[in-house]
Amino acid sequence: MALDTTVSRKGTDARVRTRRSMPAGPLALLLAVALLAALTAAVAWGSTSIPPGEVWSVVWRRLSGDAPRPGTNDLIVWQLRLPRALLAALVGAGLGLVGTAMQALVRNPLADPYFLGVSNGASLGAVAAIVLGLGSGGALGLGLSGAAFAGALATFALVWAVARRGGGFAPLRLVLAGVAIGQFLSGFTSYLVLQAGDEQQTHSVLFWLMGSLSGASWPLLAAPAVAVPAVLLLLQARARGLNALLMGDETAAGLGIDVVRLRRELFAVTSLLTGVLVAVSGAIAFVALMVPHVCRLVVGGDHRRLLPVSALFGALLLVVVDIVCRTAMDTQELPVGVVTSLIGAPALLYLLDRRLGSGS
Amino acid sequence: MRIDIEDLRVAYAGRTVVADAHLIAAEGEITGLVGPNGSGKSTLLRTVYRHLKPAAGRVLLDGSDIRELSPARSARHIAALPQERGGDFELTLREVVAMGRTPYKRAFAGEDAADRDIVERSLADVGMGDHADRHFTELSGGERQRVLLARAFAQQTDVLVLDEPTNHLDVRHQVELLALLRGRRRTTLVSLHDLNAAASVCDRLHVLHEGRVVASGTPREVLRPPLLAEVFGVRAAVVEHPLTGDPLIAFDHRELCNPAIFPDTSGNSLRDLPDF
Repeated sequence: MALDTTVSRKGTDARVRTRRSMPAGPLALLLAVALLAALTAAVAWGSTSIPPGEVWSVVWRRLSGDAPRPGTNDLIVWQLRLPRALLAALVGAGLGLVGTAMQALVRNPLADPYFLGVSNGASLGAVAAIVLGLGSGGALGLGLSGAAFAGALATFALVWAVARRGGGFAPLRLVLAGVAIGQFLSGFTSYLVLQAGDEQQTHSVLFWLMGSLSGASWPLLAAPAVAVPAVLLLLQARARGLNALLMGDETAAGLGIDVVRLRRELFAVTSLLTGVLVAVSGAIAFVALMVPHVCRLVVGGDHRRLLPVSALFGALLLVVVDIVCRTAMDTQELPVGVVTSLIGAPALLYLLDRRLGSGS
Repeated sequence: MRIDIEDLRVAYAGRTVVADAHLIAAEGEITGLVGPNGSGKSTLLRTVYRHLKPAAGRVLLDGSDIRELSPARSARHIAALPQERGGDFELTLREVVAMGRTPYKRAFAGEDAADRDIVERSLADVGMGDHADRHFTELSGGERQRVLLARAFAQQTDVLVLDEPTNHLDVRHQVELLALLRGRRRTTLVSLHDLNAAASVCDRLHVLHEGRVVASGTPREVLRPPLLAEVFGVRAAVVEHPLTGDPLIAFDHRELCNPAIFPDTSGNSLRDLPDF
C-alpha cells in the first residue's frame, strides 16, 4: 500500500510540475561570483592558510606587473595554488560543456565522456604517447593533448558504431557499449603504465584512471585555457541545433539543421575537449554527467542558457571538490576522482530512480 | 506553394525503398499518403523535409528543387512533424514550440518580441496556450502531438509535412488533430494509417504500394474495393458516410481478401467490379 501511495503521489506531482525557468543572466552572475569566492578560498586554504586579502594582493601585484614581493606567500599563491585552482575551474567548465554537448549528441541524458569510454580512450592515447616517447620534450602539452584527442575520437567512433549496429539506437546499449569498451581500454592503460615500470609511472595509473589536479602548473593551463572558451563559443553558436537534436534527427532536419555536419562537429569538439582535459587532469568521473543534469533542473533544457550555466557550475563544482581533496585529510590529498565519484554515484542513482519512477 | 515530386527514387541501406514516385501536393490542399506498413510513406516524406537525400528525382517547391536551397531556407517553407518522440531533457512546451523559429535565426540570436508572440499564438492555436510552462515529457500522447503541431505552426511555412500524426491517438484526439490541420488551410502532405480518416480530411490521395505510387486522385476515386484488395489485401465495402457523405470504408475484419475474387490487377478492368 505504501508503495502505491508513493507512486500515485509522484504521478500527481508530475502532472502539475511546471517551471518558470530561472533567468539565466542573474544566475550566471551569481555563479560567477561564487566561482570567484571559491577560487579565492582554494588559494587561501591549505596546509598554510593565507588571508584572502593577501591572496588578492599577491595576484594583483603579479597581474599589474609590479615586482612580486619575495617570500613564501608569493610562491604558494602564484606558483602552487592559483594554477591548481584555475586548472580545476577550467577542467570543471570543460567537463560541464562536454557532458552537455555529448548528451545532446547521443540524445541520452546518461551520456558523459567517462561512461562512454571516451575519457579512457583519451587516457590510453596519452599514456601510449608517453610510453612511446612522443609526449616528451618541449611539446609535451600539445603532444599529449593530441594523442589524447586521437584516443578520444577513435573510442567515441567505436562506441558509437557498436551502439548503432543493427540500426537501432537504444540508450542503454550505448552506455553499456561505452562502459565495456572503456573498461577494456582502462585495463590496457594500466598495463602500459605498469609495463613501463618506474615508480613515477606506476603512480600515474591513479592519475589517468581516477583523475588528479596535482600536476597543475602555469604551462599546463595553456591548452585548456584556449580550448574551453573556444568550445563554449562554438557550442553556443550551435545552441539551437543542439536543442533540435534533443527532439530527434528528423525533427532537426525539418528545422533546417544540417544534421550530418552538426553531428560531425559535435563529435570532433567533444573528443577534442575530452582529449585536452584528460591530458591535463586524467579521467575524472561523474562531473560531466552530473553538471548538465543539475543545471537543467534549474534553467531548463534550452542550450542557449544551459551551456554557459553548465560551464560556470562545472567550474565551481570542481574548484570546491578540489578544496575538499586537498584539505580533507591531514597527511595526504585525495585524488579528485575519489570525491567526484563519492558525490556522483549517489546522485546518479537518484537520477535513475527519478527517471524510472516517473515512467519515462 | 505546391510540392511536386518527380521520378523520386530513395535508397536506404542499399535497398530501394521508393521508386519512380510522382506526386503532387497542391496549394492549400490536404494531400494524403496511404499504403500498408513498409510501403515507403515515411521514406518519401523524409525526402521532402530533407532528412533523406533522394537517389534520383527531385522534390520541387513551386517548381524549384529544394536541394538547391540551403537547409534553413527550405525549412522556412516546409515544416515537418516526424514520428519521433524526443528525449527526456526538461524542455517546456514554450521551448519546444520556440524551436520552430530555428530556421529564421542566426547563431547567437535570441528570440525577439515577434518570435515570442508567434510561439504564444501557435500554442494557443492548438489549445495549449495556458500550459506553456509545463514539461513536454509529462504530456499525454494527444497533447504532445498538438504541441509538436504548434512547433510546426511556429515555423510559419506554406507547406506542412506530417508523418502519421494520428498514430497512437484515441479517436477524439485524432479528430481534434485533423481538424486543426484542416483549419490551417496550408499545403499539407500527410501520411495516414486510417483510411477513413484519410477519406474524410484529404482533398487528394496517393496510394503507395511497395515503394511505388499505384493510384492518385480524390479519395472517392482512389479508395475502391479492388484497390483495397490489391494493395492492402483486405475485403471492404465503400459506402457513403451517413453523417458526412464522405466515402466510408467498411472493412471485413473477419478474413483477408481472397485473391481469386480479384484476379485482374490491371487498371481499367478493376473499375468494372462491383462496389459490394
